[in-house]
Amino acid sequence: MRAKKRTTSLPAARMDHVPDSYTHICQTHTHTHTHTHTHTHNINTFTLCIQTLAKIRSNNMVNKRVPEWLNSSMWSSPATGSSPPPKSRSQSSPSHEDRIANHTSKSSTVTSVNASVNETRESPPSPGVTRTKSPSESVTEAPATITEVRDPLARSGSSDNEISPREDASRQAQLLEELSRKTINLGELQRLASLGIPDGPGIRSTVWKLLLAYLPRDKGLWPSELAKKRAQYKSFKEDLLKNPSEITRKMEESTSKNGEDKGLLSRSEIPEGEHPLSLGETSVWNQFFQDTEIIEQIDRDVKRTHPDMHFFSGDSASAKANQEALKNILIIYAKLNPGIRYVQGMNELLAPLFYVFKNDPNEDFVVNAEADTFFCFVELLSGCRDNFCKQLDNSVVGIRSTISRLSQLLKHHDEELWRHLELTTKVNPQFYAFRWITLLLTQEFNFADILHIWDTLLSDPEGPQETLLRVCCAMLILVRRRLLAGDFTANLKLLQSYPSTNIGHLLYVANKLRSHSTS
Amino acid sequence: MVLVLAIGDLHIPHRAADLPAKFKSMLVPGKIQHIICTGNLCIKEVHDYLKSLCPSLHITRGEYDEDSRYPETKTITIGQFKLGLCHGHQVVPWGDLDSLAMLQRQLDVDILVTGHTHQFKAYKHEAGVVINPGSATGAYSSVTYDVNPSFVLMDIDALRVVVYVYELIDGEVKVDKIDFKKTSTATI
Repeated sequence: MRAKKRTTSLPAARMDHVPDSYTHICQTHTHTHTHTHTHTHNINTFTLCIQTLAKIRSNNMVNKRVPEWLNSSMWSSPATGSSPPPKSRSQSSPSHEDRIANHTSKSSTVTSVNASVNETRESPPSPGVTRTKSPSESVTEAPATITEVRDPLARSGSSDNEISPREDASRQAQLLEELSRKTINLGELQRLASLGIPDGPGIRSTVWKLLLAYLPRDKGLWPSELAKKRAQYKSFKEDLLKNPSEITRKMEESTSKNGEDKGLLSRSEIPEGEHPLSLGETSVWNQFFQDTEIIEQIDRDVKRTHPDMHFFSGDSASAKANQEALKNILIIYAKLNPGIRYVQGMNELLAPLFYVFKNDPNEDFVVNAEADTFFCFVELLSGCRDNFCKQLDNSVVGIRSTISRLSQLLKHHDEELWRHLELTTKVNPQFYAFRWITLLLTQEFNFADILHIWDTLLSDPEGPQETLLRVCCAMLILVRRRLLAGDFTANLKLLQSYPSTNIGHLLYVANKLRSHSTS
Repeated sequence: MVLVLAIGDLHIPHRAADLPAKFKSMLVPGKIQHIICTGNLCIKEVHDYLKSLCPSLHITRGEYDEDSRYPETKTITIGQFKLGLCHGHQVVPWGDLDSLAMLQRQLDVDILVTGHTHQFKAYKHEAGVVINPGSATGAYSSVTYDVNPSFVLMDIDALRVVVYVYELIDGEVKVDKIDFKKTSTATI
């Protein structure tokens, strides 16, 4: 759907007004103020700015499309939508919803005064959320009219970002019901999980294990599978976490000749030239010393993981035990995967997994959390391995190519922003997107939000990469006002310390991108 | 698992120019935790080189050492073992095992490391074990004729010691090992 540019008779606002109103709008956006008088004021300036922008755009003679739903969704105010927000989370109380509904209706009246109004805008849908209606339906309903003005929310299709606790409970019930079945329908579970997993006890832990294919679908097989995997991990630990002295001791069969009390001590041959200073590639000792570097690196990184969380850092015995477990997992992974070994950042991917599994109310799962985490970590990394491999950086599957895909995605959805970022302000996406993509956004948000985002990422049947790119694109689009107003330094600063946002809204926008990708 | 290098009698620069190349390639920093040196280095440059391999360096004075501040004997505790260090020219007759046993009882150590004879020896008696790492450069000795360059690496692991003997014979490095355990109550 293309927005037709139209010049207006209103005087163009001065450019230096623009940043102020943008930030002001953003602030109100995040604070979700609903005083109508300030709101009206915002709308005026906002409209002005939009028109100014439109003018600038139209001057450029190139088709830069800003999707209409995008404009309205900036206000993040869902009327209680009829179409389901596939990736939204309950973040606020029901009363907030009501306020937003008022907000929407008021805003719609104001816009009708200002500029082209959308006659065919549908009225704010009823509060009942029907899960089955897909977001694409609401999008196609949106009529094609001129869109310099921010469109009222209803047009975007009811974007219900905040789910009432009532719906949260119902989702929890649905999940529990799904989990209690004898054979779990993975597709159904993925769909449910992508809506967000409630924080109820043990649910997330079990669902993640299922999504990462650690637990088989047939519930009856769980005990045997778990026992097998845990025994395997135990044998890994015994084999790989030993030092060479013990290994050489096991290698030789001869007993120590302690019998004699006096006399020259007998010298014995060394098995296979295994001595500590050996420089041979296959020498146990040599490998040990080479591994020491990696082990030291792992040790340093584990100590730096989430220093603000008592679970991971601090002097308590449990924190130390957790760190020890993280270290063991990373060391064993590095030894089992000589191609990729350990790369800084893997500890960040490991931390949420271990946290979720360790906080399971089921005693059995808690005790074996380390083993479970190891296998799930392997599964998670199998999709992301290529990002960590330096040699693959410039290849088709490497991180550079992924970043350029993100760039293309942004260009497809919001060409104006893309142009501004990459060409005008020359913010190379590698500066910010590298960390977003390789660490699956663990460094951008607080821990609770990370868990919610990962619910969505892990529930994608094609693997987290595609969804991740969409979420990154949504992150950029959500702060587009500030980005468009900023220069290189400001934009880089903003993107490298991304402001905290409503995660539900972010995931909602990301999902909208999916449905828009073909339009 | 502590790696301790026992080395000595290099006599650089008087009787030898440098360590054999094959030994030098094996002795890299980062692997060894302690170095105990019987003496007769003789100059400061050798001291610095050994220090670069490992910061924990213990030396006793040999009769040709230029630095007179090294002690005559030294005792070190590593893990469960007490190690004694002495150059050996003080113990007369040179290389006599009974006299060395006396010194060992005097120092009250489990393992006594001495040098001066430029010959590798590992000997066990009631009071403990005596180890002579030989000369690392194969320097000339007035005591023996055929001197092979040699040194000793000890792997101390709880109550067990594995002694790796590195010798340069006919241009090739030969490694042997000797195993012994310490009974927890008494000395070996």
